[in-house]
Amino acid sequence: MRSTLLRFSFFFLMCSPFAWATPGNNPSNTHEYQLANGLKLIVRQDNRAPTVAHMVWYRAGSIDEVNGRTGVAHVLEHMMFKGTDKVKSGEFSRMVAAVGGRENAFTSRDYTAYFQQVEKSKLDEVMKLEADRMSNLNFDDAEFLKEIQVVMEERRLRTEDNPNGLLYESLMATAYMSSPYRYPVIGWMNDLENMQASDARDWYRSWYAPNNATVVITGDVDPQKILQAVEKYYGVASAKTLPVRKPQLEPIQKGIKRVQVKAPAENAQLAMAWKVPKLEPGKLDNPEPYALELLAAVLDGYDNARLNRALVKEQRVVNDVGVGYDMISRGPELFLINVTMAKGKTVEQAESSIRKALNEIAKNGILDSELKRIKVRILSDQIYKRDSIFGQAMEIGSTEMAGFSWRDIDVMLQKMETISPAQVQAVAKKYLVDDGLTIGVLDPQQRKSSEMKKGVQ
Amino acid sequence: MLARTCIRQALLTSVLLAVFSNAHAILPIEKLPSFKGAQAYLVQTKALPMVDIEISIDAGDRYDPAAKSGLASMTGQLMNFGARADKGVLSEAQIADEIADLGASLGISVGGERAIMRIRTLSRKDLRDRAVILAATMLSAPIYDAKIVGREKQRMTTALLESETKPEAVLDKRFRKSIYGTYPLAYSPSVQTITAINSADLKQFHQQFYRGERMIISIVGDVSPAEANEIVQSVLQKIPQSGPAISKLPEFERSPVESLSQREINIPFDTQQAHLAMGMTAITRNNPDFFPLLVGNYVLGGGGFVSRLMSEVREKRGLAYSVSSYFAPGKDAGIFRAGLQTKNDQAALALEVMSSTIAQFIATGPTPVELEAAKSNLINGYPLRIDSNRKLLDNVSAIVWNDLPLNTMEAWTKQVEAVTLEQVKTAFQKHLAMDRMKIVILGAKK
Repeated sequence: MRSTLLRFSFFFLMCSPFAWATPGNNPSNTHEYQLANGLKLIVRQDNRAPTVAHMVWYRAGSIDEVNGRTGVAHVLEHMMFKGTDKVKSGEFSRMVAAVGGRENAFTSRDYTAYFQQVEKSKLDEVMKLEADRMSNLNFDDAEFLKEIQVVMEERRLRTEDNPNGLLYESLMATAYMSSPYRYPVIGWMNDLENMQASDARDWYRSWYAPNNATVVITGDVDPQKILQAVEKYYGVASAKTLPVRKPQLEPIQKGIKRVQVKAPAENAQLAMAWKVPKLEPGKLDNPEPYALELLAAVLDGYDNARLNRALVKEQRVVNDVGVGYDMISRGPELFLINVTMAKGKTVEQAESSIRKALNEIAKNGILDSELKRIKVRILSDQIYKRDSIFGQAMEIGSTEMAGFSWRDIDVMLQKMETISPAQVQAVAKKYLVDDGLTIGVLDPQQRKSSEMKKGVQ
Repeated sequence: MLARTCIRQALLTSVLLAVFSNAHAILPIEKLPSFKGAQAYLVQTKALPMVDIEISIDAGDRYDPAAKSGLASMTGQLMNFGARADKGVLSEAQIADEIADLGASLGISVGGERAIMRIRTLSRKDLRDRAVILAATMLSAPIYDAKIVGREKQRMTTALLESETKPEAVLDKRFRKSIYGTYPLAYSPSVQTITAINSADLKQFHQQFYRGERMIISIVGDVSPAEANEIVQSVLQKIPQSGPAISKLPEFERSPVESLSQREINIPFDTQQAHLAMGMTAITRNNPDFFPLLVGNYVLGGGGFVSRLMSEVREKRGLAYSVSSYFAPGKDAGIFRAGLQTKNDQAALALEVMSSTIAQFIATGPTPVELEAAKSNLINGYPLRIDSNRKLLDNVSAIVWNDLPLNTMEAWTKQVEAVTLEQVKTAFQKHLAMDRMKIVILGAKK
């Protein structure tokens, strides 16, 4: 496929920042159980197709790491494929492949998750494998030494040679002083260079326990039969006393921070990140996080949203715009705006245009019609999201990991519906101010071509 | 509660399809009456109140004039930046607002062979009708306003220059150039070719290529055949059926046998990782060797964590995070490509491992155990390729575009099952050869 020039993908409106599950998260199609060993199980029945998504989520991500061992959550994710007492290295993937499964795993700041997607009659086989590695992981040092090289290659690919990755990494490390959100999920290169197999094993021993895990299964399944299978395979694991999680609350920021990153690129980039509140479990009535979600959508939720219209189309000061905010997370949240400069425009011009657009909202608010448009979008997304069995499992799992229940999702949707233009204006005024702002700038450098002899053999 | 998908029992007695319970036979593709020379197809799914519509147009990048590379892409991408409706001109802002107000999404992408417009909407009639009318307006009467064209040209050149600083983009461009030879897909847009494109060019390209007989409409979702027919007629209402003949594309020629120094390109690039690509011309989708190559490539480099390339390069040696190979079989042209990224001082070693793994596979093919494992994965995993409206749409669209039989989905697992060791080996030796492989190495360090 030839790549298109414009940053334009199918269903670009999906980049609206909402992350909700479907309406009708009612007990009739979703079931929750708890095993004696503390493992939580959530099953959503969706029998449109004979397939199943099976995921296990561990509440252990880079937010639980300590300095000097950053990246260990992700390294352990890699090591989870390297064998148990019964299943030798590489066998896990071979067995999942044999039943036609698709599998992978991912690590974030808040959690580490593992998944397989299979035709429904194959669920037992992958569940058996997944449950086995919850308790019986057993890799040798030689495997670790090879795999840590792979992880370093991954870091080179995602970060070292990627200006966006470098900018984001510096922005996070600058915005946060004490929160572990300042660590890159993949870890600092020097920490990877010095990581030992024992670091990964310690991590596994600390966090991989049924009482720190949630199994999520969606698709064409019978919840009662699923519960029996989960009891059989996961029920044998023993609960552990988990390490104490220190709050590590980020101190209040008392003034603007700036960071500059030089990297090979053509155009300058600007990222502005404000400290803003998130939704707290048990406090679903707080209107501010919903208002911030809606503000993000008003700015960048559709093709004619404010920033795209003003900065890209009318003023032509930037080439593209992105706005990010996620009200659901374990750690502290940022409201992030990032732009790439248009030809001949400066970072200062872009910053002033962004500020102008935000001041306009703080001063004069937003239109009813804008908000209505966003809400229509949220509602229709509830239907579209159900097209994906895997997507539903993702939504349930990530919501649970942040300390909420899947049952809260509908409540959040209802709250979102009630937010007024005045409430959106209020959060813009209150939080998008300099005291809690961190600015990151990518300063583009000419790439030095390396000297090379022809014909590498 | 979700309504159970209403299914017509497919007449399949194959053992392989025993994986489907009776309630889960594969949904049939219904052919709708042709209109304005366009073909139209429907897969009706009733579980969710939504519908996906795809209009694919034989108007991809391969029709770009060499001096105006990027023209086909721009013609497609700028359709939603202003169009002439019955009630007057719809501005880009009005189009975007209308899409959002309907809770619909609309995307346009242009690839080498075709341009594709996709609309996803709720199936409620009033919303659906408005979404369809909007799509029809953009498709039939985009205005290509000179001011907006100027703005988008500038955005494109900015993005283009940015991509020239990115290793993967530079590698892609050079690889394409070396593999497609004289076929128009060898060209990539440059600042010069984008600058050369104007509003008149876009209008002319649109007029020439956006015609009923060059279009296929695929619909998946909660609409009856009669409603689907209405959609087809609305979309094509203002589209002309045909037009003047379009000149034939040059022949797509097989990668020639060449010495290594002729086939290999080294690009100095100052990055921590070297990026490698190797490949050659291969088959189109309707080639009878498609299934042997699909099964074989699963073993070689398509099977994720269990492929030979992954095992040799990543698992045994820790040389790369990702390594893979694939066939990209199009309607009229197809290629094979393998690639990886590795620390820049390991490029030579990684290339050696990748080349010898591919060479050995071509020479001896898979083992019986590997063949069974590949088949088992592809057959058992087939339901995962068709378990959502989105995936069904991808399948229908590809089946029709590539002139494949309408029962392709039902027959797929049987065709995989029938593949033999000998067929895989023969097909690989027939279509791939190490002395024809182009190699592009970017950023390697001795």
